[in-house]
Amino acid sequence: MENSRLTGNELGKGGAAGFRGLFRNQAVSMLVILIVMWGVLGLLSPYFFTVDNLFEITLQTAVIAIIGAGMTFVILSGGIDLSVGSVFACAAVVGGMVFTGTHSLLLALFATAAAGAVFGLANGILITVLRIPPFIGTLGMMGVARGFALIFVNGVPIYGLESYKFIGQGKLFDVIPVPTLIVLVIFVIGVFVLRYTRFGRFTYAIGSNAEASRLSGIDVRLIQIGIYAICGFLAGLASTIEAGRLAIIQPAGGNGYELLAIGAVIIGGASTFGGEGNIVATLIGAIILATIRNGLNILGVNAFWQYVVNGMVIISAVAADQLRRRR
Amino acid sequence: MDKLLAMNQITKSFYGVSVLKGVDFDLDYGEVHVLLGENGAGKSTLMKILCGAYTLDSGSISVAGRPVEPAGYDPRKAEDAGIVTVYQNFHLVPHFSVAENLSLTRFTRQRGLIHWKTVNEHAREALEKVGFAIDPRTKVRDLPVSQKQMLEIAIALSKNAKIIIMDEPTAALSRKETENLFKTISDIKSRQVGVIYISHKLEEVKQVGDRITVLRDGLKIATLENRDADMNRIITLMIGKEVSRTQRESAVDTTGDALEARGLQNESFPSPISFSVRKGEILGVTGLVGSGKTELARALFGIDRLSAGDLLLDGQLVRINSPKKAVNLGIGYLSEDRDTDGLCLNMGVKENVSLVFLAKLRSLFFNVTAEKHTVGDLISSIGLKIAGLSQQVKYLSGGNKQKVVFGKWLTARCRLLILDEPTMGIDVGARGDIYGLIRRFVEEKDRAVVFISSDVDEILEVSDRILVMVGGEVAAVLDSRTATKQEIMRYSTHVAQGVG
Repeated sequence: MENSRLTGNELGKGGAAGFRGLFRNQAVSMLVILIVMWGVLGLLSPYFFTVDNLFEITLQTAVIAIIGAGMTFVILSGGIDLSVGSVFACAAVVGGMVFTGTHSLLLALFATAAAGAVFGLANGILITVLRIPPFIGTLGMMGVARGFALIFVNGVPIYGLESYKFIGQGKLFDVIPVPTLIVLVIFVIGVFVLRYTRFGRFTYAIGSNAEASRLSGIDVRLIQIGIYAICGFLAGLASTIEAGRLAIIQPAGGNGYELLAIGAVIIGGASTFGGEGNIVATLIGAIILATIRNGLNILGVNAFWQYVVNGMVIISAVAADQLRRRR
Repeated sequence: MDKLLAMNQITKSFYGVSVLKGVDFDLDYGEVHVLLGENGAGKSTLMKILCGAYTLDSGSISVAGRPVEPAGYDPRKAEDAGIVTVYQNFHLVPHFSVAENLSLTRFTRQRGLIHWKTVNEHAREALEKVGFAIDPRTKVRDLPVSQKQMLEIAIALSKNAKIIIMDEPTAALSRKETENLFKTISDIKSRQVGVIYISHKLEEVKQVGDRITVLRDGLKIATLENRDADMNRIITLMIGKEVSRTQRESAVDTTGDALEARGLQNESFPSPISFSVRKGEILGVTGLVGSGKTELARALFGIDRLSAGDLLLDGQLVRINSPKKAVNLGIGYLSEDRDTDGLCLNMGVKENVSLVFLAKLRSLFFNVTAEKHTVGDLISSIGLKIAGLSQQVKYLSGGNKQKVVFGKWLTARCRLLILDEPTMGIDVGARGDIYGLIRRFVEEKDRAVVFISSDVDEILEVSDRILVMVGGEVAAVLDSRTATKQEIMRYSTHVAQGVG
């Protein structure tokens, strides 16, 4: 106890010095890194700063950013969701089947989002009611959702989704890409929920100390179920953008997206133990990952290297964060 | 012949506060030497020095005539010298078998592989030594508390222990199990092993001890032969002079009870307990380790289930089956361990203070500006010194942390506060502040406080009435204006009025 008081004073002083405090914030340092990356890529390739390419980056960002928004809630609450990639695929397949049956885009979108939410809800129930650790529960769901995605369409992709194109490729007033608009809306809502609602505050509280939250009269389980449902819902929503971009739904799609989504959150500086982090930082994290992918493409690096680089960036982000915390 | 253990003029201070002021302590071969003293008397510090967990400031230790070199003395060296502690909270590996726990650090190997036959054989021998008939393949998690303790003793002896330290060994044991422990102890004695026995239960001290040493405020007060010791005299030695107290203006409303408990029963309370807390009253609850104080708080707050009994809040029958329900009924709970159960350490002061308030709120959104004002007002009214509303709670001192937890319940306007050891680990100055907060809380007539503490001094100073608990039962309800420390100690250590 004496010890913690001493370090407390020390850190208190450090935090008061604004400049150092700013650099303690991972979101700010990641933004700096992002700008440096853009600068370097701009120098290396004249193609990087073209309208087409920037448009491409925003599209690539959109899917990961939206799944990452849901993942932010999960990680802030001290959990993890490994099933988002599979849920992404299965929700898309369900929506695609509804579309082929009804030819109603609205119904299809609704079905996609609902299917995602149902998987999320199931995750939440596994974790809270059956008390399965999030890592295991969602790992199991990862298999289940992928399996159903393949079973529903017998492993065959769904084609003929011309009406989906507006979501993935459309532009509002011929300027703002629809996916970017969706991302903005979701992140504005996300910031609002985390800052101004009880649900948002309790998400942080549960991640910080679940037992203290329970003893403060918070219905911890209900909040957790809600968090996983939101995560599943957003994974479903993200899948409609990808379907619109490719005009095709693949039951094997979304593979490895859980790594990218978790990566976006972690690069943004959220604590892997929960309770610390912010959702805007996740957006920056998603842009960084999309930039890496895009940059490697432009520079003509073998696509397989993307996995290596993504993994290494995530590891270095956490390592940097750990080093900074230790100091 | 040399003594088995001689500790001479041991001194130790922490941050300038001297905890041991030149204490002598010795132990003979085959002797049980009881160490007595109130919380903070210096017992555990003395024992931690002996085990090498703390280094002494000055003084000397010798074991079996051989002086211990203080430089570089650590727990490992202590164990090599044959000094072993049997802990209150067991440090056994629950998923391992008895045999595995017995050879945890020294498995017999053959060609690099564990030789299970020998391991089990060793275990059987070690268990036989303490007369503990159990299959060495039993998993430790399946053992009752008393057998875990036997196993700890067996482990200690298998390491050739010469001095065994037992800290409150009977706190979790039944009467029958205590008898078994005493049999084991007399067995150990016949092996010329010395036992240092720490306990508050004076009855068993009389039964098991050869000599008794009383510590108070870091000083050795006396060492007595057990057969000469009179229990009331021991208590007097432990507590020193009765301090005259300034009684607070008691504002207890006699018109009604804030809380009435009728025949509460669960695993911790095998026989039904009943009591009441009046409006405007601070009800002190005290007792030794294992007396059921904390369990009472947990039951009232809906953490532990009740199997029988009724709770009346303001005369209304209520069923409290979860903390959420308790919070909504206006009950607040400050747990013994504020860091693990009370605070979100990496969140700010503001977020912690408003947590219960928000949990009780019925709307989806909340007003951030109003939150800031409410918390700001509260912080100035309870005298919390912080750098800013968003300062992370983990950087606060113990006293300020406790004020944050207190503030949490004040903001939520709860009516009944259950405080479990609210001043534990808090310095003297901040203690005064906490007492002040508790008194101010009950100034409003419809409120009441259940104040749990093992520190009899603060119980006497703060409470209006005092509930003394022993083994999950209410041993006495005393009026704090007339109660004495001696009286409380006598009840809680289970000594009948006339004995001695």
